[in-house]
Formats: sequence, structure tokens, C-alpha cells
Amino acid sequence: MIAYSRPFWPLFLHVLGAMVLVGAVLVAVIVSWVGWRRPAVPALARTAFWSLVAVGIPAYVVFRVAAQIIYNDEKDAFGGSDPTWIGIGYGVSEPGLLVLLATIGFAYWWKKSGKPVAPRIVAGLSSLYLVLLGIAWLAMSGKWG
Amino acid sequence: MSTVQWLLMLHVTGAFFLVSGSVAAGVLNVLAARAERPSETALLLSLIRIAVIAIGIGAAGTLIFGIWLWHEQGYGIGTFWIWASLVLWVIANALGGIGGKHQERTRKLAEQLAAAGDTKSDELRALLRDPRGNALSWLAGAATLAILVLMIWKPS
Repeated sequence: MIAYSRPFWPLFLHVLGAMVLVGAVLVAVIVSWVGWRRPAVPALARTAFWSLVAVGIPAYVVFRVAAQIIYNDEKDAFGGSDPTWIGIGYGVSEPGLLVLLATIGFAYWWKKSGKPVAPRIVAGLSSLYLVLLGIAWLAMSGKWG
Repeated sequence: MSTVQWLLMLHVTGAFFLVSGSVAAGVLNVLAARAERPSETALLLSLIRIAVIAIGIGAAGTLIFGIWLWHEQGYGIGTFWIWASLVLWVIANALGGIGGKHQERTRKLAEQLAAAGDTKSDELRALLRDPRGNALSWLAGAATLAILVLMIWKPS
């Protein structure tokens, strides 16, 4: 029945988690760029914060745990030398968590203070994270290297 | 990179645009319904249009590069999971389009109320909680999720 070389669940959860994470970050990017000109609109700050906390963090956990399960099952096939696309995946997911947490921290500050600089920082960090996630999905789906 | 690797990368990129755009639209819709003032509801619903652009690019990309991959990888013309995915793709787009019209109607009413005192009316509350309008969007999301299941599972 299963015409695929990998177990279904880890790969499905890895891909789904990554796609949902990108969706949550995309919301933060959209509302923070709009908030650049309208920093005092509470709904924008609330949306950036809750999108990242309630959707982004659970999605990150799901995609990262599933990635580790797949890697543990398949690492022997790489003969001790991981291909470039695995390195890019790790290189984005681990420092990326720090970017995600920093973005959440500034989104919380924006929600509490309404200061004009807060949405600008959230816009910069969330856009950077979205670009990094884009590079990771291109590298992993195209199997670079 | 081989032709198949290029096509797979572009097909998966389309899937990222489609699913991530759908997630973004869903998050904005949920938070728009929970907003206190009609002006906030209208603003968040208007931002769904940006997510819809991502959904449109993703829907076109998955279809074009998916069909190209079908040919390139030599799957048979009667391959079940590909046909099932195509049917679900049509269903997801149709339901998403109808659900989008409901959100558009809600946004227009929220804008009218925002311009006239910015207080929620019973009509706006009813539209935001309308189970039929919301169900269409959630079913479109469920159909998209089912496509992802089929693409990874590939049942014969």
C-alpha cells in the first residue's frame, strides 16, 4: 500500500509542521509591515504575537521533532558525511529558533507598549526568518549538494 | 540538479505557498472574528487578500509542476493518488472561493460599521459566527490537508 521509502508519519509531520510554521510567520510579516505605519492598532500587535505563540511554536516543535526522527533513522545512509541540504536544514532550524523567540519577545513588547519601533523590529526579524525558512525548504526539497 | 529535482523543488515550493497561505488566511480569519471593534475586524479581513495571493501562486504552481512531474517520473495515466489529489485540488479551490465571498461580505459590513461609530452589530456577530460560511473555508483547508497526505503517502 505504501509506495514510499520512508515511514509516513515523521515525513508528513515534518512537512506539515514546516508549512504551518511558514504560515504563522507569514501572518507576523504581513501585520508587522502594516503596523509599521499603524503601530497603535492593538489588533495588529495581538495578531503578530498570538500567531507566533499559538501556531508558530507548536508547529516548530512538530517539524523539528519529526526531522530528528527521520535523521536518526537515515543518518547511516550518509556514511558520516551529511549532504549540504541536511546542513542547511539544521543551519536554519536551530539559529532560527532564536530568531523566532526574539520575534515573539518584540511582538509582546509591541502588544504591551504600542511603541512605533516595535513593529519595525518585528517586521525585520519575521521577514528575515521567512527568508531563512524559504532557503531551507528550497534546499531540502531540491536536495542541494 | 536533474530536471526531476528542479520540478520537485518548484512543486514543493508551490505546496508551501498553498498551505502556508491557507494557514495565514485561517489565522487572520479567526483573530478577525475575535477582534473587539469592527474597524479591527475589517483590517484583519482585508489582510487575507495578501494570503490569497500566496494561495493563488501555490495552487497554480502545484498543478503545473505536479502535472509536469507526473509526466517526467513516468507514473501511469490511471494513478489513483494523483487523480484523487486533482479532484481534491478542484474541491479545495471551489470551497475556498465560496468561503472567501462570505469573508468579503463580512469585511464590507465591518467597514460600514467602523465608519458609523465602530460598534459591533448583531448582524456582524451573526456573519462572524455563521457556521456555513466558516465551514466552507475549513473544508477547503481539510481538502488541502488531504492532498498533502496523498502526496506523501502515495497509496496505489
